[in-house]
Amino acid sequence: MATQLVKGNTAAVIGALYAGCDCYFGYPITPASEILQEASKYFPKLGRKFVQAESEEAAINMVYGAASTGHRVMTASSGPGISLKQEGVSYMAGAELPCVIVDIMRAGPGLGNIGPEQGDYNQVVKGGGHGNYKNIVLAPNSVQEMCDFVIKGFELAFKYRNPVVVLADGVLGQMVESLQFPEVSEKPEIDTEWAVSGTAETRENLITSIFLDFNQLEEFNYKIQEKYDLIEEQEVDCDEYMTEDANIILVSYGISSRICKSAVDQARKEGIKVGLFRPKTLFPFPKEELKTIADSKECTFVSVEMSNGQMLEDIKLAIECSRPTELVYRMGGNLITMDQVLDSIRKIAGEE
Amino acid sequence: MVSIEDYGEFETAWCPGCGNFGILKAIKQALVNLGRSPHEVLVASGIGQSSKTPHYLNCNSFNGLHGRSLPPATGAKIANHELTVIAVTGDGDCYGEGGNHFLHTVRRNPDITMIVHDNQIYGLTKGQASPTSEIGMKTKVQTHGVFNMPLNPLSLAISLDCSFVARGYAGKVSHLTSLIEKAIEHKGLSLVDVLQPCVSFNKLNTFKWYSERVYEMDDTGYELNDRVRAFEKSMEWGEKIPLGVFYVNEKPCFEDYLDVLKSGPLYRNPPATEKVNDLIDSFI
Repeated sequence: MATQLVKGNTAAVIGALYAGCDCYFGYPITPASEILQEASKYFPKLGRKFVQAESEEAAINMVYGAASTGHRVMTASSGPGISLKQEGVSYMAGAELPCVIVDIMRAGPGLGNIGPEQGDYNQVVKGGGHGNYKNIVLAPNSVQEMCDFVIKGFELAFKYRNPVVVLADGVLGQMVESLQFPEVSEKPEIDTEWAVSGTAETRENLITSIFLDFNQLEEFNYKIQEKYDLIEEQEVDCDEYMTEDANIILVSYGISSRICKSAVDQARKEGIKVGLFRPKTLFPFPKEELKTIADSKECTFVSVEMSNGQMLEDIKLAIECSRPTELVYRMGGNLITMDQVLDSIRKIAGEE
Repeated sequence: MVSIEDYGEFETAWCPGCGNFGILKAIKQALVNLGRSPHEVLVASGIGQSSKTPHYLNCNSFNGLHGRSLPPATGAKIANHELTVIAVTGDGDCYGEGGNHFLHTVRRNPDITMIVHDNQIYGLTKGQASPTSEIGMKTKVQTHGVFNMPLNPLSLAISLDCSFVARGYAGKVSHLTSLIEKAIEHKGLSLVDVLQPCVSFNKLNTFKWYSERVYEMDDTGYELNDRVRAFEKSMEWGEKIPLGVFYVNEKPCFEDYLDVLKSGPLYRNPPATEKVNDLIDSFI
């Protein structure tokens, strides 16, 4: 199996190719532009479709159209571009269409800058567009996972007929690590049960998000809530590192979870019992797993994030505010440092 | 007396040799020639290398969203129509992402000067095709060459009866200065599309390429309000590329239709609260 040094953004495209994604629609934005570039290079070589759209809105609506035909479709952008796509994402959630969207988060709000941040958490994990819908959100923390989670993303998108967002940040998109290429290249088949392929077989299928009858729309809303319940039941994914005996639990995803792991190792050398809880799915959020830890012992939860406590709210909800929580964060394009995390760990340990 | 120095000298993030420098120089010189003081001028922009321009001018400035220099410029013009409002944008910003705003601002016809840095490439994101990239041009995304028809901004604007349509070239600063002066003085929406070499990412439309092709129209050979002839002229592109004013149609501008502005800019006329009370009373 081939192993090669690649950028995170490139790994996302490699994942898409192995997942059988055959349509890419995008628009340039730093720090996600390499996804567009790599897709433009590789998709046509493999007889797949690539379009550079005139705007992010055009790109997501091309995704909407192509996804309706049952194909595996992808787009990517960064914060401001994801904001622009939200309208289309809401329609796709309403039409129950699968797609994978990669968000290489940059610092905001507004134009902000092109440095890494995790400030898109709320707009991606909580829905973002209008209506009672949710995206499935996967949070890679390595170049390998940039590839693997795109593949996983397509699997989940089609299993549940729902948009999936791979939520990464400027560091993960731009950094280079070794990538072990996938073993299997998917050959997906069009699901004629729901797709609209312009064939006699799919003639009766209808892709829509309009329900003029209030009760019908409410019924549809109940149905998708049941789907989200099922996703919460079946698809939670998280990693725990040295949490068993820990009384300080760092909770962190994406690039900041890598920094936290180093902080855990260092603090352990100092005799502090600290562990790391890393959500790999942000929706579904690993509520039960966090609650189990909170119920089992006295401990403090520390949300380590590159945003203003957006994930901290979910942690508090998960543990039902039964244990103390702290927030360690940076914003504006700045990375969390290991020392910053360690200072917080030492402070909490000293107080105990 | 207003001087060039009043508009400041700033360190820029543009590449050495960029066509943007010529445009910036022409904007400053035009404003000075017209005797506009920096406080009387607003420069609004979207996102792109062109849209950094407001940061390099010591006047009122606004740097907003990608593709959306025109809506905030319109908003500001309504708030204070005594301001000289210039919207600085680019081919990707204005003709791609903001294409819809472009069409409808032309229809609305506010007294705004649009200066479009048209380098036929995306510079800020490092070299993808833009709406005006030439067919066949290879980029890191259009690896087999551009195959979409390039957008002709002048023809489009004339077809929409844009009230002033001109083309300049960043390599002819004094000519561009005079075009910008005319555009600012024109009452209504004026479009100045400026051919601008991107020395880093557009290896096709270089200073040499443009310089060999552009020529200044002494006289278009038709009345400037002749829309059909202007449209025909706007399609001349290739071996020869005309520069100058293509089309002028004097007509009422957006602000003329707003009665509320007749007694002066809004900042001098705060909302009359007593009138609100009268209105509320009328409901009771």
